[in-house]
Amino acid sequence: MSPSPDTLAIETDDLTKRFNNFTAVDQIDLNVQKGEIYGFLGPNGAGKSTTIRMLSTLLTPSSGSARVSGYDIVHQAGQVRKKIGLVSEKLIMYPRLTAFENLMFFGSLYDIDRDSLLDKTNKLLDMVQLTSYKDRVVGGYSSGMRQRLNVIRALLHDPEIIFLDEPTTALDPQSTRFVRDLVKELKAMGHTIVLTTHIMEEADELSDTISIIDHGKIISTDTPGNLKKKCDADNLLDVFLTLTGRELRDSASDKVPMRRVVGRM
Amino acid sequence: MSSQLRTFSASLKIARRDLLDFWRAKQIVLSFLLMPIVLMSMFGYMFPTVPKANQFVGTMPTAYPNLPVALVQIDRGSLANAVAYEFVNIAQAQQLFQIKEMGSFQSARDSLVRGAIFGIVVIPEGFTDAILGKQQACVEVTADETNPQIAAVVQSEMASIFSIISSNISTSYMDSKGATLNPTFMLQPVSIIQEPLISGTSTTFQFLAPGFMALTVVFGALAGVGFAISREREQGTMDGLLVAPISRTAVVFGKVLAQTVRGMIQAFLILGLSMLLFGVRIYGSPFVMVLVLLMGVASFVGVGIILTSFAPDQETAQMTVMLLQFPMMFLSGIIFPVSSLPVWMQWIGKAMPLYYAADALRKVVILNAGLPVIASDLLILVAYSFITLAIAVPLFQRQMAR
Repeated sequence: MSPSPDTLAIETDDLTKRFNNFTAVDQIDLNVQKGEIYGFLGPNGAGKSTTIRMLSTLLTPSSGSARVSGYDIVHQAGQVRKKIGLVSEKLIMYPRLTAFENLMFFGSLYDIDRDSLLDKTNKLLDMVQLTSYKDRVVGGYSSGMRQRLNVIRALLHDPEIIFLDEPTTALDPQSTRFVRDLVKELKAMGHTIVLTTHIMEEADELSDTISIIDHGKIISTDTPGNLKKKCDADNLLDVFLTLTGRELRDSASDKVPMRRVVGRM
Repeated sequence: MSSQLRTFSASLKIARRDLLDFWRAKQIVLSFLLMPIVLMSMFGYMFPTVPKANQFVGTMPTAYPNLPVALVQIDRGSLANAVAYEFVNIAQAQQLFQIKEMGSFQSARDSLVRGAIFGIVVIPEGFTDAILGKQQACVEVTADETNPQIAAVVQSEMASIFSIISSNISTSYMDSKGATLNPTFMLQPVSIIQEPLISGTSTTFQFLAPGFMALTVVFGALAGVGFAISREREQGTMDGLLVAPISRTAVVFGKVLAQTVRGMIQAFLILGLSMLLFGVRIYGSPFVMVLVLLMGVASFVGVGIILTSFAPDQETAQMTVMLLQFPMMFLSGIIFPVSSLPVWMQWIGKAMPLYYAADALRKVVILNAGLPVIASDLLILVAYSFITLAIAVPLFQRQMAR
């Protein structure tokens, strides 16, 4: 792969992930510009989470390569980790610890001196309006509070790139609005954001570029406006259904192919 | 900061967090503290203090005092009366048996079947005549064979009492005949006086306590680290650790450190309780004890990680670890001596590092053994640690990135 142009935050080349005989991600090429919100959409089991886990160094690709913030995800994984923040669909927080303890712990794993970390933690708690709850254990938080906390956990080391994996799933309208505004604020602060979501309205509102993946392959990449034009659709949901079809997807997991279980009743 | 120092620092942070998380779970902490108390009390009272002494001169050893037994005296002759009287006296003075006199073997047998008594002694017809005729006289002993352990105790203690009575009869007989030699010399020219290996009263628990200490620490390492990893994978927090710029080794060692601290607390709780409640004494160096326990942990951490690396969730990890825990508990000489097992089981027991950790710890605690004495045990534990960790750490790294 040639060196990443300065404008690219993420660049992949034939990136592939196989689990035994199942190809979850099949030779994808992504180019994410610095400072943009990149909507990464697809039905269940299409390969979104697997791609994000590879780009955040949690999974090793089976073949192909990727550079994140200019670093190779396999050979320079340590450098990549310093540059990224991951907000996964699961809450990365210890429920028996307070919000403050959680943030201080995760922040301490990065090379940040204690005073700066303390300052950053308090600022971020303030940003998501959780300062008055910071000494309460996270297990007692509402889902909206947890998700706000989950997002700021990924910002403690001021990452260049933030992966947001379904950040508003199961949130009430107020929390959803808050998180979306927060994503816009992060973009305004100069972060590059890779966003996966099943909420097309959210992708339409937030994304500069949208990539749709299905069966492990990228089937279309463009701005939301251009995608709507190409598909002659009024909204992104129609675009999505036009490109990926209307049949139900019943993948049990994004990672593991479904097994056929035969038994007698 | 060098990479080793960074790894160590990250390990400490992870360990501190794990311990804080553990401390917040009050119910788990309660179980954690109660477990050694329950374990120690259970085994402490199951295997009560047994004083050691020569049966002819001191207190007779018994783990089951005052067992109810029946005495059926059919012969009413003078010597039968004397023997019955002496039997009752010794049994009660030594608190071996609680004697119930019964009229017939059948009524005594009915009591035994009902579970009211554990043994029957019958002084049969012709007992007095046999002794007067200078023939060997017999008493008949029946034990409750539905309980082999109690039956063995009844038979052995009956044998001891009648051995004393028998000696007394012989001695008085020889005395009355005016023998010039000391009658005890004629009856038993060589006698045995047991000298204990360690001074003071020894208890079964003195032997059990070090084994339980090793068991607790080692099980903590085996199960705790694996469970901690699988729990974090399941709840998603492992991603937060793995996406941070710290080495995978730091994650493993942080978990190990936290589990080691927990294991050590439990081990010393066991030791404290054993000393307080059951009179266990430490004869060896506390430093060497800690070293043996740490080596025990090191030898098991790798096994725990290997076993749980393939587990998709915590429940599977628990089941897998239990598969190893139970045989290890019974085959590694913690409760039963390994030498009492069939040869093939001894091989399995000796293939488990717990055997060597418990063996070394016992030698240190009971026999005041120093490092040179337990060197072979420690070497085996070191070998286990290197081999298992050499497999476990890369396996963990690979499994996490699968």
